[in-house]
Amino acid sequence: MDQKHAIDFEHVTRIYKRDEFEVRALDDVTAQIATGRFVAIMGPSGSGKTTMLNLIAGIDHATSGRVAVGGEEITGMKERDLAGWRARHIGLVFQFYNLIPVLTAFENVELPLLLTHLTKAERRAHVETALKVVGLADRMDHYPRQLSGGQEQRVAIARAIVADPTIIVADEPTGDLDAKSAEEILSLLVDLNRQFQKTIVMVTHDPRAERYVDTVYRLDKGVLAGVEPGKRGAAPDAAAHA
Amino acid sequence: MKYAALVLKNLVRSKRRTILTVLSIGVSLFIFSALVSVPTAANQILSDTASSTRIATHDKAGLAYPIPEAYKQRIMSVPHVEVVLAESWFGGVYHEVYDEFPNLAVDPEQADLMWPDYGISKEQFEQFKKIRTACLVGGDTMKRFHLHLGQQIQLRGTLYPFNVTLNIVGTFSGKAPPNFLLFRRDYLEEAAGRPGMVDNIWVKIDKPENVPQVIAAIDEGFANSSAETLSESEAAFIGSFMDQYRTFFRMAELLGFIVVLMIGLVAANTAAMSIRERRGEIAVMRSIGFPSRTILSMLLAESILIGLAGGIIGCGAAYIVLKVFSVGNAAGPLGSIHMQPAIAGETLVVAALIGLFSAIVPASSAARRNIVDALRTVA
Repeated sequence: MDQKHAIDFEHVTRIYKRDEFEVRALDDVTAQIATGRFVAIMGPSGSGKTTMLNLIAGIDHATSGRVAVGGEEITGMKERDLAGWRARHIGLVFQFYNLIPVLTAFENVELPLLLTHLTKAERRAHVETALKVVGLADRMDHYPRQLSGGQEQRVAIARAIVADPTIIVADEPTGDLDAKSAEEILSLLVDLNRQFQKTIVMVTHDPRAERYVDTVYRLDKGVLAGVEPGKRGAAPDAAAHA
Repeated sequence: MKYAALVLKNLVRSKRRTILTVLSIGVSLFIFSALVSVPTAANQILSDTASSTRIATHDKAGLAYPIPEAYKQRIMSVPHVEVVLAESWFGGVYHEVYDEFPNLAVDPEQADLMWPDYGISKEQFEQFKKIRTACLVGGDTMKRFHLHLGQQIQLRGTLYPFNVTLNIVGTFSGKAPPNFLLFRRDYLEEAAGRPGMVDNIWVKIDKPENVPQVIAAIDEGFANSSAETLSESEAAFIGSFMDQYRTFFRMAELLGFIVVLMIGLVAANTAAMSIRERRGEIAVMRSIGFPSRTILSMLLAESILIGLAGGIIGCGAAYIVLKVFSVGNAAGPLGSIHMQPAIAGETLVVAALIGLFSAIVPASSAARRNIVDALRTVA
């Protein structure tokens, strides 16, 4: 596995069993995503975008093939080890924000830090910094119900970055937002990518996203159909087709 | 500790549901601890009161049949016997019929030697021996009727066709039954026309290991007489009173456990609903990196805290109610039912177990569920 690749997929297949049916969500996908890139995985519904993202995030297992993230192969990891690995390396952003409703913005962002050995004061400093980065330093004590959709997604992004993960994976981060909020979230992700050199992998249907990313990976029916440069102008990563 | 705030936040997520669950567990554990206290208190009375060197001798046919007072002298001649004292049940009531409590007439001369464990001072025993109308009253009965030392009271006869007027010269505590009243048998004998019969003879012997031998000697001595005797240790004697309540005790215990089982099922259903609603959040936490075991521990901690809160409420309520009940109803051998510390501890353990077992299945299932499937339910 190449260290300059944040993510390495080698002949990855993921088959789901639904009752007596088998669904081939990903079919022999081989792809690499370079470190520090902001990439989008795009494609029609059922093309395997979210499956690919889940495999990168280590919340799903490949049926066959090898997945390496940050130079570490995660394919054969046990769930207990994967949990620890996710806590250290992955920051997740969901379409519906998935904040814990009974926790304030501060407490939501603090969640990943509870898994570290940081002291309370250190955790507070990290959370404040993360919320400042996403522009919500003045909303720390607000509960999710007291925030707009865009603000909730910013809190979710703060939660994803607070533990300084290797990779941020975002599943349709703009899917539940109005156009203005969506642009703001995409700009924020670009800033994170530029300022902190975070590798960001985003699944999206949103065609506007192409203007913000370095590379677009197109999936169709579980197969990697193409790798194109984003309209931001970066060259595509090396990718091998199945 | 850093997860404690998270557990507490989740506990107050649905305040109404948490309060109702705590209260339902509290009510069931109130019933449980109160019911289980009854037989435990009875056993405690037995072990607290009974001396290992006292023997009760009464008519073989039962306490309703008196035996001759003259048996005292013959019993005194049995080896290892140190003190012999006769007793008769007066069965009087204080003001009204429901103002009853156990009242007995006893020989005063050696009462201090027979009951040194009753917590009566030497001076009070001396008064009891000197004053013909003297009586000794248990602490609970003193409290119940707001009596005080030196007070004169009258007991209305129900078995005897006369009343007795008594002066309180002492109160007993220690191992004494807390609701009893003892007065002098010579006073009763005189009022009753000296029938020369007694209900029971108390015998104190030198060593506990001689009890079987003395019992056998006494009963053999009166075998084939007009009033054959049955002698038994004090524990067996008091236990025979308790025996009439045994079925009730078993029913009480059984009911207590049924109530716990029922509320356990209700709590399990509530826990299942609560955890089901949070499957998505649990999946998010796991995707962040929380290990299944940590999530399981937090879910179980929530449920155990709910159980314990219910346990403390139920236990506290039962303690207060039993306290009030025991002060207000000091009649009979079961008049003084208090919650023993062991029952309080047992109730809290049961509370924690209700919490644990009600949540263990849904919590384990939620903590181990496939993250992708669980996230799909949120979307």
